[in-house]
Amino acid sequence: MAEIERAPRKSLNEQLYDLLFKNYVWQSIFRTGYPNTPRNQMLAVATNVFLHLHPTRIHRTHVKITHTYCLGGLSFFMFLGLTVTGVLLMFYYVPSIERAYQDIQELETNVRFGQLLRNMHRWMAHAMIILVLLHMMRVFYTGAYKPPREFNWVVGVVLFILTLLLSFTGYLLPWDQLAFWAITVGTTMVGSAPVLGDESKFLLLGGFSVGPNALIRFYTLHVIGLPLVISIFMAVHFWRVRRDGGLARPL
Amino acid sequence: MVSRAAAAIRTRPRRERESEVLVWPDLVFIEFISAVLFSIALLVLSAMVNAPLLNRADPDTTPNPSKAPWYFLNLQELLLHMEPAWAGVIVPTIALVLIAAIPYWDRDTDGQGVWFGTKFAGRLAVFGFTASVMVTSLLIIYDGSLHVIWTENIIRGTGLNSDFQWPGGLDWFRNLRGLDTGIPWESIGFTIGGFTMFEDWRAIPLGIPGTTTDPWLLNLNFPSFLSQQLVPVATMVGLPVLFVLFCKMLGWVHTRRDIALLIFSAFIGVYLTTTIVGTAFRGQGQDLKPPWDIVVLEE
Ligand code: HEM
Repeated sequence: MAEIERAPRKSLNEQLYDLLFKNYVWQSIFRTGYPNTPRNQMLAVATNVFLHLHPTRIHRTHVKITHTYCLGGLSFFMFLGLTVTGVLLMFYYVPSIERAYQDIQELETNVRFGQLLRNMHRWMAHAMIILVLLHMMRVFYTGAYKPPREFNWVVGVVLFILTLLLSFTGYLLPWDQLAFWAITVGTTMVGSAPVLGDESKFLLLGGFSVGPNALIRFYTLHVIGLPLVISIFMAVHFWRVRRDGGLARPL
Repeated sequence: MVSRAAAAIRTRPRRERESEVLVWPDLVFIEFISAVLFSIALLVLSAMVNAPLLNRADPDTTPNPSKAPWYFLNLQELLLHMEPAWAGVIVPTIALVLIAAIPYWDRDTDGQGVWFGTKFAGRLAVFGFTASVMVTSLLIIYDGSLHVIWTENIIRGTGLNSDFQWPGGLDWFRNLRGLDTGIPWESIGFTIGGFTMFEDWRAIPLGIPGTTTDPWLLNLNFPSFLSQQLVPVATMVGLPVLFVLFCKMLGWVHTRRDIALLIFSAFIGVYLTTTIVGTAFRGQGQDLKPPWDIVVLEE
């Protein structure tokens, strides 16, 4: 009697797994299952549009938390979070001096999770500045700016300036006393430059003092101009980390 | 002549496969966890603390003190001690340019890629940071005339002289502006070859008569220049030099990396101190106050 070789019955777990992950739609998005061999894991990193910022393998010492404290990555993560919360804030906010303040008030009181949204955006912005500063310190104290990474350090300094500018332009938008006077103080400092001081201040404010023109300028810079520029610099920054042979380590 | 790119590749360490790990899962996992932790922490913070929203902006009511966002309060703090052009623009610009230039100046690759990788790195960092926090605090105390207030209070408190006043002869040492207001400039003068120098220290002619119409170029207000420009700038240049010389004496400074470590750490110290003082210790009229005494008035 010939015994017919039959596949063992699948457990419920396996059936469920197949249903979820081996269906036509899922596999159209993720072409392979969980990458559980080293080869597939490297392919997963190399072929995924988000992960391919990374190399496929890195030196052992660099995955130690205490080497980078993830500070650069977290700065970037803050930027992503700020983009998401920022886009949501744009749904509710109109940059005119008639509406700005009222919009923020209504966001806080009438919009579900509106206050939470605003808080997240605010605290992430502060966190990003602190993280970028700490990242700069970590790069400095690990001597990671030395050749061949000189230029990436310079790109970093530009990123730091852009981060401050992003935060500063956002500061005016709620159009409350805090915003108005902080920007007044800040732009007065710009105005004291020995050359082109008054001109730069005028350019920034669209006038001699903080008013409707300043609001629309700061808004535009905050939501599109500076984010675009900083994205470009970040792209260069990450690319250079790869091109310079990954993170610095002793020669 | 090897191209720079080729040199960069050559100096890149040889790959040692055994000491490498895979990005997936080792790094992706860490990144994921730290992102989750940060999201949770920020969510909790946002649930507990609301972003501030004061009254609607009103150009006619000035809050006292008016402050820039906290990350510019270090500059606003500098503004209290020197000419605005220096504090608000020139000093930060030079600082950023110098920071950006570090790698072009300090090029040897010793100690690269490890925390405090050179012999004296740790102590240079600790010394630079601590000393600069202390020196910056002292300078702020001096320019805020706290030493005057404290001396008066202490001497009055001992009962030896219950209405002791800071001696007039030391007026020049009340604060930085004391160099301007506390010195009898009118009565200082000397004569060279029959010319009296200077009859008026507050309007020292600089331009050649008839060649320029810019009044700023024509006259120099020396006492004000001294207290608001010369001394502050000399301090900002001189103190770092002293730091380096001192650590050289101790035998801690041998390479450019050592100098960079010392000055960068000192810079972090100044940055932190001025930010904290500007944020938490400046009350009305930008007077020094303990944080619990600071109220914002609308005027
Ligand atoms: C928006 C700001 C920034 C972002 C998002 C960012 C992101 C990153 C990331 C993800 C890395 C990989 C290693 C790590 O996480 O430490 C990195 C490395 C690096 N960053 Fe940044 N960075 C920023 C600002 C800066 C600043 C302000 C500096 C210095 C002035 C800087 C200089 C460098 C250098 C030299 C490296 C290579 C480090 C090494 O080889 O070990 N970056 N950055």
